[in-house]
Amino acid sequence: MEFAIFFLFAAIAVIFALVVVLHRNPVVGALSLVASFFALAVMYVLLEAPFLAALQVIVYAGAIMVLFLFVIMLLNLQHMAEPPTRPIQQFLGYTASAAFGIGLIYFLIKYAIFTKLPDTPFHADARTIGIRLFEAYVFPFEMVSILLLAAIVGALFLSGKSAKEARS
Amino acid sequence: MATAFDTTDVVLSILKIAIILGIWLNVTPIMVWVERRGSALIQDRPGPNRVGPFGLLQSFADALKFILKEDIVPAQAHKWLYNLAPTIGLLPALTTIAVVPWGRGFEIPEMTLFGRKLFEGGRWFEPVVADVSAGILVIFALASLSVYGITMAGWSSSNKYSLFGAIRASAQMISYELALTLAAVSVLLAAGSLRLTDVVNQQANHYFVLFDVIKLPAWNIVSPAMWLSFLVFSVSAFAETNRLPFDFAEAEAELVAGYHTEYSSMKFALFFMAEYMAMATMSALITTLYLGGWDIPWYNEPATFLGFLLSFLAFLAKMSLLLFVFVWVRWTIPRLKYDILMRIGWKVFLPLAFLNIVIVAAFIAARWI
Repeated sequence: MEFAIFFLFAAIAVIFALVVVLHRNPVVGALSLVASFFALAVMYVLLEAPFLAALQVIVYAGAIMVLFLFVIMLLNLQHMAEPPTRPIQQFLGYTASAAFGIGLIYFLIKYAIFTKLPDTPFHADARTIGIRLFEAYVFPFEMVSILLLAAIVGALFLSGKSAKEARS
Repeated sequence: MATAFDTTDVVLSILKIAIILGIWLNVTPIMVWVERRGSALIQDRPGPNRVGPFGLLQSFADALKFILKEDIVPAQAHKWLYNLAPTIGLLPALTTIAVVPWGRGFEIPEMTLFGRKLFEGGRWFEPVVADVSAGILVIFALASLSVYGITMAGWSSSNKYSLFGAIRASAQMISYELALTLAAVSVLLAAGSLRLTDVVNQQANHYFVLFDVIKLPAWNIVSPAMWLSFLVFSVSAFAETNRLPFDFAEAEAELVAGYHTEYSSMKFALFFMAEYMAMATMSALITTLYLGGWDIPWYNEPATFLGFLLSFLAFLAKMSLLLFVFVWVRWTIPRLKYDILMRIGWKVFLPLAFLNIVIVAAFIAARWI
């Protein structure tokens, strides 16, 4: 049962991820990415971590992708074809992705497939994650919040009118 | 998950799903009737009164009309997304209710039928479809997907008004989801758990005793620490369900009908159903978080079938009351301006929700909760 569900949703995740890359329409791409994220959330449920699954859907599928979609719609890209790429761009793109793919497969074979995972129970409920976050990882946690604050201030600075402009 | 396959468990699960789905699918026709009669009452006119007694069968006539109408797909529409959108819109509305408890759990007595034992005695029936530890987060996760149905519908219709409706809906839902979630955090802090059964158990059959005389049920709405949170949550619930005074996604006066302008026939009816089911889910959630869930005040429900039945009815009664408030507000308060909506969301409700978290934390530190 678990096995069947895993392969079903793994297939869904991969197929929709491929649609994201291959489809010409950016809106379809964004929506496929949502579907792919949702299938990933099912993986977390199978790992008995419903908390992580819910967070995956809330943060990625629910919040971030809505913003992406929002921007795509505002830019109104729906009928615009992609401009033709130059040969050098194509060459660089293919080389980089091939290198990345080979590296990924190498590490998967080396560490994931032939290494047996430890058989310890997996705790990923809200309590455990919260305690870990505020005890062991409190410094990186606070650093991330400062990073986000800097990003917000930067975005406000770039988008907002300066004080002088607003007055005139 | 690794446990053995239990047939009785599966049957019970299917039974629970059937009960709750049955109620949720019937919410729409009933609520349409309540809305039309309610609006008529408020506006001092008769309302639908031809089909059946008090126009009760009007919803059936409406449903029949929807089924018989021609299903039109605009020539410019993105066919795939256009056809998929109503289903995607309905999906979160139907699934979110799975984690909300709707009655007192009880022990199933041993039952025999034709000399065969149906149930092993002593099995516990918990009236919630999926009592997961992530609880309320599942609701927020699925509810955050409901914006996609609207966005897909608006974009794929290739209609400017539809697109405006969809963009407004996404902006509005992103803004109010934050306030909604943060308001709920206060309740979860008090309950010490994300699980909604824990949230109800913390309120049910407990009492606040004032001056050793007055005994008040320990519902969250009674506690002064929760008043702000209740206010923020319920107002944000209106914004989340796109109801007047926040129905900018389909503001008739400005956008024809917003994101579902191009839809007809059953596809339009599905959007309609999704809206009412989302309302029902929000009412159920407010009931669970603030109104003590299935708890009957000053009455200790026994853990028997009778106790379950009474608590289930109490839950439905509270939910219906809130659903009526949704209708009442719609026909009383006019639509706000869009910039006011966004300003209130970010500059008023969000800070208020944060403030309430601090208040609740202080109450917990002082051991008042």
